[in-house]
Amino acid sequence: MRPVLQALWGGILSGSVYGLMAIGLTLIWGTVRLLNLAHGALYVVGAYAAWTVLEILGLPLAAAIVAAVVVAAIFGYGIHLLVVRPLLGRAGWDSASIIATVGVAIALTAAALLIFGPRVKQIPPVVPGSVIFSGVRFSYQGMVIVAVAVVSLLSLFFYLANSRQGMAIRAVSQDMDASALMGVPVETTYARVMMISAGLAGLAGVLLSSLLFLSPNSGFAPMIIALMVTIFGGLGSVKGTIVAAYLIGILESTVQVYLGGSWSLPVLFLFMIAVLIIRPNGLFGVTEAHRL
Amino acid sequence: MTDSAGRSVLDRLDSAAGPWRTPRWGTIAFLGVIALVLPHLLLRFGAGTFIVHMLILFFLWSVVAQSWNLVLGVSGIYSFAQIAFFAVGGWVTALLSMNLGWNPWLSVLAAPLAATLAAILIGLPTLRLRGVYVVLLTLAFHELLGNLASTGPREITGGGYGLIGVPRFDFGPLSGLGHLANSYYVALISFVVATMAIWRLFHSPIGSAFSALRDSEGYAVGRGINQFRIKLFLFGFSAFFTGLAGGLMTHYLGSISSSVFAFSVLINVLAMIVIGGWGSFGGPIFGTALLLGLQEGLRDLADFRTLVLGLALAAVAVLAPTGAWPKLRDGFRNFLDQPGSGDPDLEEPTEDRSAETEEGPRLT
Repeated sequence: MRPVLQALWGGILSGSVYGLMAIGLTLIWGTVRLLNLAHGALYVVGAYAAWTVLEILGLPLAAAIVAAVVVAAIFGYGIHLLVVRPLLGRAGWDSASIIATVGVAIALTAAALLIFGPRVKQIPPVVPGSVIFSGVRFSYQGMVIVAVAVVSLLSLFFYLANSRQGMAIRAVSQDMDASALMGVPVETTYARVMMISAGLAGLAGVLLSSLLFLSPNSGFAPMIIALMVTIFGGLGSVKGTIVAAYLIGILESTVQVYLGGSWSLPVLFLFMIAVLIIRPNGLFGVTEAHRL
Repeated sequence: MTDSAGRSVLDRLDSAAGPWRTPRWGTIAFLGVIALVLPHLLLRFGAGTFIVHMLILFFLWSVVAQSWNLVLGVSGIYSFAQIAFFAVGGWVTALLSMNLGWNPWLSVLAAPLAATLAAILIGLPTLRLRGVYVVLLTLAFHELLGNLASTGPREITGGGYGLIGVPRFDFGPLSGLGHLANSYYVALISFVVATMAIWRLFHSPIGSAFSALRDSEGYAVGRGINQFRIKLFLFGFSAFFTGLAGGLMTHYLGSISSSVFAFSVLINVLAMIVIGGWGSFGGPIFGTALLLGLQEGLRDLADFRTLVLGLALAAVAVLAPTGAWPKLRDGFRNFLDQPGSGDPDLEEPTEDRSAETEEGPRLT
């Protein structure tokens, strides 16, 4: 019972954060058709923004979370202005946009290295302490993370489902030309999606960096897993992504509990290959084959 | 037209119409003589040793860049596994020569084969899938091998320091020339062979098949081109030369470690292709020379180098998607003769391709 519970809790914890990362990727993919490989760098931007607010300005964690989201969103808007807009509608969009986001990721990571140095940092936990239940340690920090992540995911879900802006996003993702003809401001919607997605990456950054260490390169591994989650859930499907995030989180932490940490990536990799062979469109994907 | 595959078609085709082309032997002979004499001239000077070393690095890395360009730029498969193939080649030949006592000349031949095998293994599940999936699976493969190299069993990976003391090539009766000059010739030969093979592939029926696939997939598939088979072939082909370069590099440097998986290596090679001009034939070669030169010239910049590289990558992708080489080449041509008056025979088909990617909608 004890290892099962531990794997479950670890999976829910990391699944929440992966969900935040992956939702951003899937939103951008669904609407802008952009594979944003700078997503991991936005994670790092958010985490360092929060670290600066906490450690240098000495403000409380709530302020740090807000700072992370806002700063990452500003960077997301910057990517929209400098990369997405000039490239939109141009032939060779696929390849140019991928390379451009790789370039942005490299530049942001290098800038973080220059400003903050290579030494690892850690964001201190808000609420220290933990409760032990049938032999498994549940840290209060972990509960805060899960709560924040779940609240954000739910509010995003309702935002997309019910608000006018959310409907605009969904309309653009279904058919850009038709929604432009119906008077949906496509450009603005793109910018909005980029900012929301970047903000979520920043949020994931501050949340996960209180559990793991923070270094300029630490956004890469979460991004890879978030990519797996997005694809497993079916690219462009929000519901599928959330389900997939928790499934992948639980799978990863089960492997870690039973086989050891170094096995998690190989097992995930083989799992992904198997999934892509059996269900090439992911869990909830709808005929994605023609989207790229 | 020496290509045996092209010969049967040639009778029916105007020589300017198809991609079946002959190289300019005069230029090649001229460059060849320079390349052969160069180390002897350089090694007479004090700084020459270093320049010859840089030339060896240039030859080997440009093989990697050209092979990756074949996959990434020419056929539009967003694979990031190229460095992993490079490492596979290096590790295999290092292990064979160190642990099993193979002669380096023999074991280095196993490197391209192992890399091709790895490429086929990774290509079989991934290449049926499209863009994003390929990015993910190849990146994960790269990350996976990198993890394995730093945490795997010590007798295979060599642990944190990697494999040190890989035996170097023994040049036997030729060793009078000096190890550096001999290594230079080995690198030169591999560069020439790889470049010729890639050039041949560019200007062959397969070459037109993959540019057709990239430019108008529906049309290409409709004409009966087997997409999966062509992609798998290209993947293996590019891994072959990448693995060879990896093996030669390992024997030349005498070591290989998990640092080859560092993100900076991947970025460097990517920058060689993109800044040089991806999708064009000369782009990666020019890019390799440019970046290796910059690496030395910008040594003072140290940490800022990566920042500059990243910004340059993004800027090239946004502002000048064709890269530096096609622009330089066209500029040179315009300088030589007035635009428009050029002999159509002299225009390379790659030029047309790059113009298409830059400007506008293609066949839809």
